[in-house]
Amino acid sequence: MAILPFDLVSGLGDLRVWAIWILPFAAALIIPAFGKVSKRSTGWVAVAFALASAISAVTLLPGALGNHEIHNQIPWISSIGIKAGVLADPLAVIMSNVVAWISFLIFVYSTGYMKGDKDLTRFFFWMAFFLGSMQLIVLSDNFLQLFFGWEGVGLASYALVGFWYKDKKKDHVGVEGRHVLGLMDYYSPTHSGMKAFIMTKVGDVMMLAGMFLIFAFAGTFGFRELTANTSWATAMAAQHLLIPAAVLLFGGAIGKSAQFPLNEWLLEAMTGPTAVSALIHAATMVKAGVFLVARLAPLFFALAAIGINMDQFFEIIAWVGAITALLLATQGMVHPEIKKVLAYSTGSQIGYMMMALGVAGLSKQFVDGYTAGFFHLISHAMFKASLFMAAGSILHIVGSRFMTDMGGLRKYMKKTYAFMWAAGLGLMGAPFITTGFWSKDAIFAAVYQSGNTWAIPIFAIAVITAVITAFYTTRMIGLVFFGNKSKHVEDMEKEGHHVHEASPSMWVPYGILAVLTIGVGVMGLAFEHQIHDLFVNYLGSTFGIKSSVETVAMGSQPLLGGFLEGVNPVALMASLAAFAIGFGLGYVFYIGRFVDPVKFVNSNIFFYALHKFFLNRWYLNALIYWGFVVAPLYVARGLYKYFENFVLEGFNVVPEKTMAGGARIMQATQTGVSQSYLYIFGVGILIVVFLLLI
Amino acid sequence: MIEFTSTPIMLTLILGAVGVLIPVINVARKEKGSSVYGVIALGALLAAIGFVVYQILTKHVTPSAIFSSNVLVDDTFGSFFAIAMLIVGIMTTVGSFNYMRGRANPAVYYSLILLSSIGMILIAYSTDLVMLFIAWELMSIPTYVLAGYLKKDPSSNEAAIKYFLFGALSSGIIIYGISIAYGLTGSTNIEQVIVGFSKLGPDMMPLAILAVGMFIAGFGFKIGLVPFHMWLPDAYEGSPPTIAALLAAGTKKAGFAAVLRVIIMGAIALNLHWAFALAVIAIVTMTVGNLAAIKQRNLTRMLAYSSIGQAGYILIGLSVAPISPIGIQASLFHILNHSVMKAAAFIAVAGIVTTLGVTHIEKIKGLGKRMPITALGLTISLLALAGVPPLNGFWSKLMLFGSAIDAGHTLSWAPYLAVAGVLNSALSLAYYGWIIRKMYFEEGESNKRLKEPKSVIAVMIFSIIFIVGIGVYPDPVIEFAKSAVPIMSGLPSIH
Repeated sequence: MAILPFDLVSGLGDLRVWAIWILPFAAALIIPAFGKVSKRSTGWVAVAFALASAISAVTLLPGALGNHEIHNQIPWISSIGIKAGVLADPLAVIMSNVVAWISFLIFVYSTGYMKGDKDLTRFFFWMAFFLGSMQLIVLSDNFLQLFFGWEGVGLASYALVGFWYKDKKKDHVGVEGRHVLGLMDYYSPTHSGMKAFIMTKVGDVMMLAGMFLIFAFAGTFGFRELTANTSWATAMAAQHLLIPAAVLLFGGAIGKSAQFPLNEWLLEAMTGPTAVSALIHAATMVKAGVFLVARLAPLFFALAAIGINMDQFFEIIAWVGAITALLLATQGMVHPEIKKVLAYSTGSQIGYMMMALGVAGLSKQFVDGYTAGFFHLISHAMFKASLFMAAGSILHIVGSRFMTDMGGLRKYMKKTYAFMWAAGLGLMGAPFITTGFWSKDAIFAAVYQSGNTWAIPIFAIAVITAVITAFYTTRMIGLVFFGNKSKHVEDMEKEGHHVHEASPSMWVPYGILAVLTIGVGVMGLAFEHQIHDLFVNYLGSTFGIKSSVETVAMGSQPLLGGFLEGVNPVALMASLAAFAIGFGLGYVFYIGRFVDPVKFVNSNIFFYALHKFFLNRWYLNALIYWGFVVAPLYVARGLYKYFENFVLEGFNVVPEKTMAGGARIMQATQTGVSQSYLYIFGVGILIVVFLLLI
Repeated sequence: MIEFTSTPIMLTLILGAVGVLIPVINVARKEKGSSVYGVIALGALLAAIGFVVYQILTKHVTPSAIFSSNVLVDDTFGSFFAIAMLIVGIMTTVGSFNYMRGRANPAVYYSLILLSSIGMILIAYSTDLVMLFIAWELMSIPTYVLAGYLKKDPSSNEAAIKYFLFGALSSGIIIYGISIAYGLTGSTNIEQVIVGFSKLGPDMMPLAILAVGMFIAGFGFKIGLVPFHMWLPDAYEGSPPTIAALLAAGTKKAGFAAVLRVIIMGAIALNLHWAFALAVIAIVTMTVGNLAAIKQRNLTRMLAYSSIGQAGYILIGLSVAPISPIGIQASLFHILNHSVMKAAAFIAVAGIVTTLGVTHIEKIKGLGKRMPITALGLTISLLALAGVPPLNGFWSKLMLFGSAIDAGHTLSWAPYLAVAGVLNSALSLAYYGWIIRKMYFEEGESNKRLKEPKSVIAVMIFSIIFIVGIGVYPDPVIEFAKSAVPIMSGLPSIH
């Protein structure tokens, strides 16, 4: 009999893969129990389980590097043929390791950062739940199961962004009293949590529609099943439904990864504790979208082999990525809040990844763009987690989210200062020694070499964005660490709060990641080749996507005596120039402070207007609010006032009265008098016999 | 002869012995205190359910539902119902711990629950009409007493009287049906009766149909099929809420067991066009139940009507059973789910009654803050009753409606059953949602957290785990239900 657990156990297969996502959920389950005993212990439970999960992830790494795939399934709802399963292919294993280890470090950091908070139990419950959901996304072998994780991530982010639900003033984001187009640019944690939930939900609904559209044709949710038999794609393409379905799926990624036009929730998500921001930006939430695209892109690209052209789909991905990269980078240049600058930067960097994955599908060398996008995901995860945690320490100690309230901190927080430079250089793409440089360079090369019509405009956007990135990162470090102490810090010191270094449980995690950014960066090119080779094998064996062996080096000459072999010279020059210009400008304004940026902006109406335009978020947020919040509310009120009151309640009483009438008749028959009940019983028998006779 | 160690016999022995023993202990024991009897009863029920599960796992149970020349048979169909009934019995017993504290005659109360459980279980295992009738009475008589348990409370007395009156009437009708069947076929063995029916000449056919009609009326009374439902809201409302749980979740399901054993198998053999009759009853039942529930202000009464509505859903699967292979499977699945959901809802109400002493819907405002666990349990069970994913009620409703659509290949009107079911589910959300709204979104008189009865908390936690667990991973239960479905092809037919 199938209810016996034996089938189940044998189906589970490699338990390590299951453990990766089940352990964090188990932690979430037991954390409330520990919370009853001691609130502080909850943090250590979360850390211990995250470590266990990370260790089971790392044991899979050797197999994955050998392009070994683990795919186990158990029956889930066999009546409609749906199975649950885990799929640990190289893509999933690498992603899973990135998520696991970075989350582990963030959990350690959280034990220090959240010390003394009243709601530790709730905090760590949701953190563990967040991690479990993310790993579920990464390791799922089908859409439906992935969607469970997808929604879990959404739920956890809602709970954590709005974690400080009392909406105290210090937990808001934005500047109080500032208005954009008549709407306040100032948001409370609960509002932000709701905003994140609703905006990502828009994407989720699209994704659900895309999922079921494909299911309707393929009869399966499984990724491998979809790859193995592509008749569904032919059928869908014949009805012109394939690209819409793919774009709907991408809609989910747009929402989750905060890409244009669903990008605005990401900024307000900064109301959460900084550890949460780090988790959302480096390891879990926004990376889920990129991961989904990385999961799907080869599947759709491989369809070219059976003559289905998916170019439109990949063009949309590439352009959404490019637009987001530029859009958010420009805004990052002007914002005064440190966490918001980092948030803009995340959106912008995710845009790079999307761009690379999109371009991959448009070029003959799919694997180049694919590697570049994924490599950038890994390097971004390291330096962004480090930057966020460092920023959290600074916030924690200075007690303000505005960079103008900091300044001159380099003497007091030496370690944080050093680590922030290291990670910041990664974000800027400092040449040759940081991972960020190599991964960004790989993206440039992939875009430049793709040979697509859009290659040059997208390449230009990528380079401009890189300049801006270098600039705002320098600005951030300059504002925080250089110059004189701000008035805020001086006031604090007068009250006896001295600025000091963060505690070890905080600086060690971001220190590790900052060192890794440089450490891996030094060997960056070798690392990239490693991933590249792995993906060549993986994509070739699983999806049948062929790549020529001469990959990165298309037409390039050996530079620097072979050290830079395989690097595209145009892309390399562009990266170097972008870094030099961006860093140089930033140095002039914020580190050397030769020119006062405020005076500079006000000196010229063009710069002034541009500055305001960026600061007001290209008016996008305000327009979204006007269009989707304010206007519908007006319409709803108007409808209520003029339509419902007059039309519905005045004239159209039919449905309401019918229901009420029906209910009243039911009530009337229920007299409570037994005789009438018996009578109805008797009539009932006659009716039944009559019904049987016809 | 059926073996001594077979499941039905052993269950009767375990539950019967303890059921008889409890009042004896009460006489011998000097100290007051009700919990000890509850614990003994709980032990017996746990032992019983353990035995059933053991028998299934060691494959001592015949799969599917079978006929036998014995009066009882040890098959999966019976075991499926036995598990459902025993879960309800356990939930009722545990839920009663706090409710019964300080009330009179606890020993008899728990003893009657055990005896009634034996009846319910034996119905599902019966293969003989007389055995089935005896089990039916064994189930019913203790519940008459239990319904009138609050002897000083007039509404409890009214409930018991009405329930008894209709119980007696329906017993008479069932006997009448059995006597016609015996007269026509010369046997009371269900298989013999069905074989005999299928060989009847056309002149005798109306009598056979009359017998089936009597069975529908007689069993339908317990299930709460419209128009045999009139007693039900009055009886549920007047009884102690824990007993309402037993009635709604337990005895009602036993009624379905009887319907499946007798009517469905018989009607398939008769090749009767009974699907239409059951479909009409199904639609009327769910519509009447849900419509009437909207107007109710009393929680128990609302749940009583809701259980009428749910019976309508279950009947969908039964009416399309000969056409769609998943019809009965879906019904069985929903029967099990409904047992837990409805029992949980009633026990939650019992918890509210124990703590606050109210059942009026206006009085439970702000319950989410005052009794958070009870409110959560009630909310989850209501959402599951409405069929909200990913709770267990969603899957069973999906299968029920799916079976109706599936049957549309043969019967053109069958998909309308699904339409009616979906519309009714939407309608039912109106009053389920209303209760949830009162508990969470309206300010109560105070926000002070009350002490929730421990036993109710235990039941709530169990039900939440069950409802959500089956909702996320429904497969084992669906498979179990599948293994309990009677094999249609094996039945005699007049073709």
